[in-house]
Amino acid sequence: MGKNRTPYLLLLPGFGFLFTFFILPIINLAQTSTQTKIAGGDTGQYEQTLHFRNYIDAFVSNREQFGRSFLFATISTLLALAIAYPLAYAIAFKAGKYKNLLLVLVVAPFFTSFLLRTIAWKQILGEEGFVIPTLRSLGIISQSTTLTSTSFAVVMGMTYNFLPFMTLPLFASIDRIDPRTLEASGDLYANGFTTFRRVTLPLSMPGVVAGTLLTFIPAAGDYVNASILGDPTTKMIGNVIESRFFKIVDYPTAAALSFTLMAAILILVTLYIRKAGTEELV
Amino acid sequence: MTTDNSHEEIQPGLKDIISAKISRRGVFAGIGGVGAAAFLASCGSSGGSSGGKGAALRWGNWPLYLDFDSKTKKYPSLEAFIKKTGIETKYFEDYNDNDEFFGKVQAQLKLKKDIGYDIVTPTDWMAARWIRLGYTQKFDGANIPNASNILATLASPSYDPKREQSLTWQGIMSGFGWNTAKNPKGIRTLDDLFAPQNKGKIVVLSELRDTIGIILLAQGVDITKVTENQYMSAVDFMAKKISDGWIRGVKGNEYAQDLTSGDAAAVIGWSGDMFILASENKGKFDFAIPESGGTISGDNLMIPYTATAEAKKSAEALINYYYDPAVAAQVAAYVNYVCPVKGAQAEMEKIDPELAKSEYIFPTEKTLANLHVFRSLTTDEETSWTEAFQKAAGN
Amino acid sequence: MTKASIEARGDLRLTRLTKTYGDFTAVDDLTLTIPKGSFFALLGPSGCGKTTTLRMIAGLEEPTAGSIHLGETDITTTKPYQRPINTVFQNYALFPHLTIFENIAFGLRRRGQKGVKEAVDKVLNLVELPHLAERKPTQLSGGQQQRIALARAIVNRPALLLLDEPLGALDLKLRRQMQIELKWIQKEVGLTFVHVTHDQEEAMTMADTIAVMNEGHIEQMGSPADLYDNPETAYVANFLGQSNLIKGTISGNDGDSLIVDLYGQKIALPKSRSHAIDNSTYAGIRPEKFRISLLNTQTRGNVLTGGHIEDVSYIGVSTQYQVEMPWGQELMVFEQNDDGVAPFKKGDAVNISWEPTFTFALRGDEDATAGSEVEPEVLDEE
Repeated sequence: MGKNRTPYLLLLPGFGFLFTFFILPIINLAQTSTQTKIAGGDTGQYEQTLHFRNYIDAFVSNREQFGRSFLFATISTLLALAIAYPLAYAIAFKAGKYKNLLLVLVVAPFFTSFLLRTIAWKQILGEEGFVIPTLRSLGIISQSTTLTSTSFAVVMGMTYNFLPFMTLPLFASIDRIDPRTLEASGDLYANGFTTFRRVTLPLSMPGVVAGTLLTFIPAAGDYVNASILGDPTTKMIGNVIESRFFKIVDYPTAAALSFTLMAAILILVTLYIRKAGTEELV
Repeated sequence: MTTDNSHEEIQPGLKDIISAKISRRGVFAGIGGVGAAAFLASCGSSGGSSGGKGAALRWGNWPLYLDFDSKTKKYPSLEAFIKKTGIETKYFEDYNDNDEFFGKVQAQLKLKKDIGYDIVTPTDWMAARWIRLGYTQKFDGANIPNASNILATLASPSYDPKREQSLTWQGIMSGFGWNTAKNPKGIRTLDDLFAPQNKGKIVVLSELRDTIGIILLAQGVDITKVTENQYMSAVDFMAKKISDGWIRGVKGNEYAQDLTSGDAAAVIGWSGDMFILASENKGKFDFAIPESGGTISGDNLMIPYTATAEAKKSAEALINYYYDPAVAAQVAAYVNYVCPVKGAQAEMEKIDPELAKSEYIFPTEKTLANLHVFRSLTTDEETSWTEAFQKAAGN
Repeated sequence: MTKASIEARGDLRLTRLTKTYGDFTAVDDLTLTIPKGSFFALLGPSGCGKTTTLRMIAGLEEPTAGSIHLGETDITTTKPYQRPINTVFQNYALFPHLTIFENIAFGLRRRGQKGVKEAVDKVLNLVELPHLAERKPTQLSGGQQQRIALARAIVNRPALLLLDEPLGALDLKLRRQMQIELKWIQKEVGLTFVHVTHDQEEAMTMADTIAVMNEGHIEQMGSPADLYDNPETAYVANFLGQSNLIKGTISGNDGDSLIVDLYGQKIALPKSRSHAIDNSTYAGIRPEKFRISLLNTQTRGNVLTGGHIEDVSYIGVSTQYQVEMPWGQELMVFEQNDDGVAPFKKGDAVNISWEPTFTFALRGDEDATAGSEVEPEVLDEE
């Protein structure tokens, strides 16, 4: 032990960071989640009573937003996958000398604030943006149809905002595929679709798994898109947690909701990795 | 102008852009305190090295809430105060959100440790909480003779009936705002608001005292004595309007963007925002206090009990200074909210006769008589009423 | 069309096949017939167009002009997956996510064939790797991967098997062994093999017929012995083994022989091996055909006198000599170390002699160094 302490010393900063900024807050959150209001106490004053019913109450009264969070996150993840896969494929195999430029463009939205990008979407989809008037003049949507303050806008915003998280791992994975294995597949009687299904897709599965996780997890906890692009009927669990924490100053419920969300994501992700991981990954 | 290292400064250019487009407070408050805090960092200003007779002063206020000269990058009225009194004053525009600010200083307040501010500017209901918790100091009336200049409407709120530990910084009226093209006849009643042409294009404030207050007033309820049942039925009314697709948003300041983008045709909104919208888009937007009554609230200058005796004295000097009608008019000409100081209107005639006539800044007696203050809530009410409102808003 | 092309069998005919990339012509008006059941090698240096030709046959590149027929079926524009042709890729291109078994079964499954298990087992036995069926490609050595790539192709019993530098990634010893095995397997399964390589020894070991390619066209085609003994161009003479090319003039006839004057010394060569078009010629002799003798020794056949040994390298089975001739040219001579004769020393004055039948004659206006300066191919990682 005394001989070789270097590895442990190297671990120390990372562990210290994790302990201070993850473990301690988690413990604090766990403690808060079972507190109840002090009788006669003022706003924001709670005491520990190990009131685990907080979890049940918090979940039951916000089932709708929980359901919506996972539904929206799932749809955005699938949409992002559908958009990012051909994009990543084209950048990896067809872009030639423009590969690096295109990669920079994929990341370019990150150069501006998440908030401003979402607000920009509000303008684009707004009454006086160019989408609505165009669609109306083409007769695709009726005069009264709007795009902002709808589930559609929220899902679009989430898809857009998390697209780079999907594209980059997909690109990394697809770029590693030897194009000759695709030629070999064609040589061995597989047409384009079969080659995709039997060779390209399985070989890019690590990217698909990483991309979907990197999109789904933040999307499930997101509240900015629902807040800016949605209306009261499209709120997600992140909005509830924010409101519970800041507006109602109901720390226990906010903490219980956060824990429930975390647990739900953890379970879903574990099941997903099990399913996607065992058969398909190299 | 020196900058306090503990506070970041807004880039001057950005500040001009913000001040041109939106009025004070919150800017992104509806998104949540986190975003607002990240986006709008604070701005510090101090009185340089003129030395001082009084103790140094630190004032935390909402962004874009004090007259600012974009050429010199200075606050003229504050500079004048510093010059006159020699009190070194640091001005921080980092009061972005009532809840967030409270969360930030609460622990220090509990421990009775310096919170870094000698003057804070919470909104009425938050001011009530501070007073209830005993976190403020009573003024020495002799140091603030100008306190008697406060408008009658604002002079005796339930949380501080004698204005012993709070004085209004600016008053905020809420009422109906609308797009004149969509509502050529204007909006005076709740029925006008929920007219067919506005269906799905109505945005109301996320401040429950304003939105529910206006609904209650329309229902004939006295909001200075509102009961829980009355309140809850008004919340249900709002919830119904949301689920029936009338109301598309319950928001903070961003309702102004919804109006300009055309996504909102009618709103329950704040006078200052509507003033700017109306003046920047000639004839496109208008604002009125509902016939059944609007609400008025205010942000309040208060001295935390953690301020030293010397700092308290300096703070009182500053409060007294800003209650001078001439100074108050100077501020009002920039911020466009309801000026709480009697006599400022006469002073405004000298600065800008147009503004002196503005109902937004100097509401007439008749208008003021139709503005009401939501009663203070008990701790338990504050929690359960907020919860009911937030739930109705989808949260 | 699909059905017909996948069932096509017979000789492979390339007719005026051309492929250009912008200004660059990779394959230039190539016409070629590869008989059914043969082991055919396309031999040439990097960039000669052999790989492009192979890829056009596989359907991986579309010809700019010309046609490809398999038997009577035109497959010029047929998709790769509709051609009864399989390829062993240069670095195997095995599917890394599939087991060896599934790699080999891939083509059979795509065509919905029955008896996959039997067929795969059989071909695994043929390449002597039945125990690796459940491994992944990355767990295999280079030689094993090579055999699996071969098995994956031949299990489909294609009309044509294409091998793109199949042994390039293997070390020399393994390469020798695989050359013999490939030849054996080809005989065993009786398929047409088209083999692309830059390695002339590999081509000569395995192929029935070799086409030497240079700058997009075929220099010469024939059996390995034909090409070696009777090259038609300096390029082939130099690329396939080594040659001594000596400038000379055809000065007369003697029955089936031509008399050639090499710097004043007369030699004879068979008319059948002359490719000269006028009196100007290069006489070509392979280094191992030469015999060296001391000046006063009896000699037979063609003789060139006046040389002296410039350099001696002993390399085990043979000794290499550089012999400087009176006209300044250095000739290369390989002598077998089999007759116990004491090797010659540097500076020895010698005669050089050889059997006239071992001589070939090229056109005198050729570049005598063509094909000899070709860089050893670096395997391209395109």
